[in-house]
Amino acid sequence: MIGRIWAIAVNTAREAIRNKLLYTFLFFALAMMLFGVVLATISYVERERMMQDFAFASIRLFSVAIAIFVGVGLIHKDIDRRTVYTILSKPLSRAEFLIGKFTGLILIIWLQVAIMALFFAGGSLLMGAPLGFTHLAALALTAVELALVVALATLFSSFTTPLLASFFSCGIWLAGHLSRDLRDYGANSSSALVRDGTAWMHRILPDLESFNLSIQASHQLPIAASDVWLPALYGAGYVAVILAFATLIFDQRDFR
Amino acid sequence: MSASADIVRVDDLVKDVRPGFGLRKKRILDGISFRVREREIFGFIGPNGAGKTTTLKVLMGLIRATSGKASILGHDVSEVAFRRQIGFLPEQPYFYEYLTGREILRFYAKLSGVSPRSREGRVTELLELVGLSAAGNLRLRGYSKGMLQRIGIAQALVHDPQVVFLDEPMSGLDPVGRKEVRDIILRLRSEGKTVFMNTHILSDVEMVCDRVAIIVNGKIRYEGAIDEFLDAGEPEADLVFANLSAEAAARLEERFGARLRGHGERIELRIAEKDSSEVLRVALEASAEVISVTPHRVSLESIFLSTVNEADAEEDSR
Repeated sequence: MIGRIWAIAVNTAREAIRNKLLYTFLFFALAMMLFGVVLATISYVERERMMQDFAFASIRLFSVAIAIFVGVGLIHKDIDRRTVYTILSKPLSRAEFLIGKFTGLILIIWLQVAIMALFFAGGSLLMGAPLGFTHLAALALTAVELALVVALATLFSSFTTPLLASFFSCGIWLAGHLSRDLRDYGANSSSALVRDGTAWMHRILPDLESFNLSIQASHQLPIAASDVWLPALYGAGYVAVILAFATLIFDQRDFR
Repeated sequence: MSASADIVRVDDLVKDVRPGFGLRKKRILDGISFRVREREIFGFIGPNGAGKTTTLKVLMGLIRATSGKASILGHDVSEVAFRRQIGFLPEQPYFYEYLTGREILRFYAKLSGVSPRSREGRVTELLELVGLSAAGNLRLRGYSKGMLQRIGIAQALVHDPQVVFLDEPMSGLDPVGRKEVRDIILRLRSEGKTVFMNTHILSDVEMVCDRVAIIVNGKIRYEGAIDEFLDAGEPEADLVFANLSAEAAARLEERFGARLRGHGERIELRIAEKDSSEVLRVALEASAEVISVTPHRVSLESIFLSTVNEADAEEDSR
């Protein structure tokens, strides 16, 4: 089983690496980080923090863009071009195919995060900004958030067109970042319906802000180990549920 | 396997689809049943839109039947593990064009569970078999339609399956390519494999298939040995005469039900073979000159067309 999933993953990674969108977003991310360095250089106050804030925002934003816009096309392309016919006629379950696709894309996304992280480290050293465990933890949780976004893109890509899948994925990503605020806002409401409704939405939507340690990292604030492993566990569980759901839908599909 | 001779069993298979967002269902397969026996080349023939590819997709687990049963080698088609024993070439296959011929075969070999030890040897062997040894290291982007069809056949055979399903295997091939694919199919049978072939190229069916099933409008109209199928009608003969008077020709037409066709001064008659002697006697008495007498073998095409026409007439009369 692992061998078959790995074969699909390697092939997906090879396919993703040929996608021009990946390089476009990576280029813009690195350009934004460079711009952050330049901006910090001409600033009078908090140069290091400004540079690192800029870099974290670039990494998060452009990695999510890559995850969504490259991710939504991967499965759809296989169905549209009918490569799925020959692949699924082999002793490979649809779940293995889907997990292979997810694994291949997440490997590429993590690789480009690693490239951005190297750039980030280079910029920090150049600016004399501190680097430590918190920065590593912030990047690690960004990687978990990206896995969740790729899983969402895989889910939507398994039953709809790339355009709709990218709308849905962007929507959930935005809602996921706002779900905590929504819950807090709803909690102050006098209506029980609003209170319960926003609380349920927070439970159902991914709480993507739980993966955001960039403020702690750039402000050098202390973090506990549980600030890392708890969100990581939550993210892994969420990814598993999304992929299980995607498999359920993909399993029912007719390839006409 | 319950009946050891049956490699593929299809019983009362129904497939309904809803075109668009409407509630009305369209029946693509209307309770079809057939068997494919061990070590035979089975031709599944029918006009476009008859349900050939849908049947094949159900067998490959790509679509689910609305009702009915389908099994291969005794396994329900929804199972996965037994697919190690089957190979599939879809119609107009598409592959990852950034891979080379050798890489794509390696990829499918991995998916099919071919051991790393024998993988390279098997890939080389298959490239040779389909005549792509020289193009093995070229990216598929540069392959012609015929070359892609060959690589498609190679991927279907890369894991040495026991049963091979081919959807329009001759499509996109030139006459030489078609001959080569026919030879591969015949070779598979001689190696003890079973081949299921979807096609509408009837001459190929006549040349390689042992048994056929004809599907029209989602229903099986015939299933059996191809020789029985061709011999199903009464044998006929074509007689060509010169100097046959119009009066004598009309008499032959009326008495023997002969079908007449004029070719200048010559007249060709198609009659039942058993009437040949009598027709010759009557024609010679009328001072006609015999040019030729040829037994007429009914072509698969003519039987196929009459089967399709009958099916269409049946549908229209409802």
